[in-house]
Amino acid sequence: MSAGTAGKTGIQVSPAHPGRPVKPRHGAQVGAAVVVLAAITVWAGIGVQINIAAIWENWSNASGNIIQLLQPDYGFFPKVIPALVETLQMAVIATAVGSALSLPLAFLASRATNPRPGLLRATRLVMNIVRAVPDILYAAILVAVVGVGALSGVMALILFNVGIIVKLVSEALDGEDPGALEAALAAGASWPKANRAAMLPQILPSFASQVLYTFELNIRASTVIGLVGAGGLGILIDNVRSFFRYHELSMIILSILALVLVLESVSSALRRKLV
Amino acid sequence: MDSTGADIRFDDVSVTYPNGFTGLKGINLSIPAGEMVGIVGLSGAGKSTLVRTINGLVPITSGRISVGNHQLTGRGEAQLRGRDLRELRSNVGMVFQSFNLARRTTVINNVLMGRLYHSPAWRTLLGAWKNDDVELAMSALERVEIVQKAYEKASSLSGGQQQRVAIARTLAQRPKVILADEPVASLDPPTSHVVMRDLQRINAELGITVVVNLHFLDLARRYSDRLIGLRSGEVVFDGPGADADESVFESIYGRSLTAEDVLDAKPVLDTEVDLNAEVELDAVVKRGAGSEL
Amino acid sequence: MTELKTQPRLAPARPKKPTSMLRNALWLFVSLVIVAAFWSVKIKWSALGDFPTQLLKYIGLMLVPPDWSKFGEAFSATILSVQMAWIGTVLGIVVSLPLSFLASRGLAPRVVNAPLRLIFAVIRAVPEVVIAILILSVTGLTPFTGALALAVGSVGTLGKWGYEAFEGVDAGPKEAVRSTGGSTLALIRWGVWPSAAPDVFSFWLYRFEINVRASAILGLIGAGGIGKMLQDNVQFRNWDAVGMLLIVVIAVTMGIDQLSGAVRNRLIHGYWRIPKAAR
Ligand SMILES: Nc1ncnc2c1ncn2[C@@H]1O[C@H](COP(=O)(O)OP(=O)(O)OP(=O)(O)O)[C@@H](O)[C@H]1O
Ligand SMILES: [Mg+2]
Repeated sequence: MSAGTAGKTGIQVSPAHPGRPVKPRHGAQVGAAVVVLAAITVWAGIGVQINIAAIWENWSNASGNIIQLLQPDYGFFPKVIPALVETLQMAVIATAVGSALSLPLAFLASRATNPRPGLLRATRLVMNIVRAVPDILYAAILVAVVGVGALSGVMALILFNVGIIVKLVSEALDGEDPGALEAALAAGASWPKANRAAMLPQILPSFASQVLYTFELNIRASTVIGLVGAGGLGILIDNVRSFFRYHELSMIILSILALVLVLESVSSALRRKLV
Repeated sequence: MDSTGADIRFDDVSVTYPNGFTGLKGINLSIPAGEMVGIVGLSGAGKSTLVRTINGLVPITSGRISVGNHQLTGRGEAQLRGRDLRELRSNVGMVFQSFNLARRTTVINNVLMGRLYHSPAWRTLLGAWKNDDVELAMSALERVEIVQKAYEKASSLSGGQQQRVAIARTLAQRPKVILADEPVASLDPPTSHVVMRDLQRINAELGITVVVNLHFLDLARRYSDRLIGLRSGEVVFDGPGADADESVFESIYGRSLTAEDVLDAKPVLDTEVDLNAEVELDAVVKRGAGSEL
Repeated sequence: MTELKTQPRLAPARPKKPTSMLRNALWLFVSLVIVAAFWSVKIKWSALGDFPTQLLKYIGLMLVPPDWSKFGEAFSATILSVQMAWIGTVLGIVVSLPLSFLASRGLAPRVVNAPLRLIFAVIRAVPEVVIAILILSVTGLTPFTGALALAVGSVGTLGKWGYEAFEGVDAGPKEAVRSTGGSTLALIRWGVWPSAAPDVFSFWLYRFEINVRASAILGLIGAGGIGKMLQDNVQFRNWDAVGMLLIVVIAVTMGIDQLSGAVRNRLIHGYWRIPKAAR
């Protein structure tokens, strides 16, 4: 390659070796990025009051708690069961309803499957808002609207699920080869029919795998939203925590752990079958 | 069933793309029902644009296209849209270079896509196809001799098999016209001949009008009744393949024919083929290739 | 229809529609689980009857109009949650990156892989609030506790995604480094990291987005931020203040998602916004 053509294509030429390009330097960019990240970290660190010394000071009183935690109160287990079951019920219902609602919404939210730009943008905006609200905020508001108990929890989880599944599935649709869709449209199908016949089979495996993934998330999330009264294990956690009953807390954690690990292995086995 | 093919007429058709590029300039063509037409031209000549105007995938800017009793018109006139456009498309099958199958579902489901226009929405949604539609899809698969794969996943088929499934999908539409945009460009030479023979047979036996874009001149000459040469969006040749001599090639390609413009460097021995035409072509290729050196 | 039936040559027999026992059994099982959950759960579904009117009432209380005087408080609460999420993510990255190399098969011995994977799985099973409750006694009731809880939670997910990405790297570059006689460190640096880096960066960003949302919960146990303001105001039924908080949280979170999407594009594709032509 001559120096002339190299110049035309914008490649810098080394003066000592006219045939060789000079190593491109991103030093300034990387440096700037590091400075920005460090600054944000310092700012956030001050904000959250990082305090290593306190950890040292509290260590002795903490060790007592940790010893308690390592000795779960197995006698407490019967009291955990109903809450555990409720958590499971909430997760199943929310996953089922949430994924049923998500599928059509995902088709409306993907550039590949929705030919109407106005509707597309509106759907995406609404979905971004739905996803921006933390599950605990939904739960707190819904507890006020429909009352304390599993119903508010289920509804909060449904909103949480719709946000996640629609995003991931519509991204899968965006990345899908639109060839079959074009063929269906060329055969005279309307958009909804073409989407059903040509695009749905293509994304079903990834949809199913997202549903299982959200189911796993739901088990964890449903233990948490109980803290504001939305049913499940959370209410129990709140009770034992306020009275510092660490043996019982430890039993609850152990049950969550067992439940999640069992369900996760079942669902990852299912996912492997699907993909 | 009334007539099996449909006439296609282009009246002074032009296409200007949104970016201002003119893809077709004042095309006038008349393709009678039941004809098999090959369209050749350099890359970028407007072959895809031409066939895609026929089913409205590319809207025309001016002029008029009639397909059977459907009319496609230019900008500013009443447009064919909604259900009317879909009805036209249901009468026109299309075969694509990259097959365009839904690869994760079965072959039969892909062929049934040809019935989407005629099926009620609830049947489509549930996948509860009418028995008649399934029967139609099966016999379409039989026609391309691939029925034994009906319940296999489309992705498990070879390229040639996938393209035959795509042809079966158009047959399931019971179309009056089949458009094929470089249907063999992704296939190896022997498979290309199988697929081209399928198209030829369908044209001959069912009387369906077939318009096929081909990159290779020898394929176009061998399998079509009539050759249309495009260059820069204009028709530069229109006539039987036998009339397309070297001067015609030069007018289409802007240069002499080279080995890259034909599929088979040597003529394939095939009793159906006019061997003389083949040898002639071979000679032209050699001369063309020589003149480049 | 007749036209297609005239078969010129002998066609092979049509195949029978296959049925998959396993598939049907799976569907039956899933349906049964769902039906059982609906049937057994203690929910008065009739409460849904006046849900629409109730919802409208509360939306009115919250948003028509929100309590603008609480804007400052809502904003600083949200920012505090974001700061918790940031510190949690940074600490999570610092700890998880070396650990996920050690958890990858082929980069470290099996005896090291297995326990690390178990630890990741256990962490992932425990919700962040519970982690916060556990470490509360050591760190006290500060936002730092929240950040640490998020950090621990992040190690669980980032660790897993990390080793999956490292193990998924094509064998080609790995073999190339090995064949030049490179050490394991060289293998990681030149054979694994270059291919896995874009994925790993995008996991970090994704986990940050998760942490921004998860940090809200930690306020409920006293770590401050969104959760604390939420609890304080729900308790006294200051719905217009909750409405203000809702608006600020949505705006800040959407802003962060946009920013993180842009950074992801820059890191993976080399530009901040995907240009129209590439779509
Ligand atoms: N959507 C579009 N927007 C703008 N220009 C286009 C568009 N589609 C095609 N063109 C241009 O129109 C011209 C004709 O394109 P067309 O695809 O019809 O060519 P072709 O003969 O099929 O070529 P090939 O053999 O490469 O498929 C080309 O110059 C192409 O760049
Ligand atoms: Mg083309």
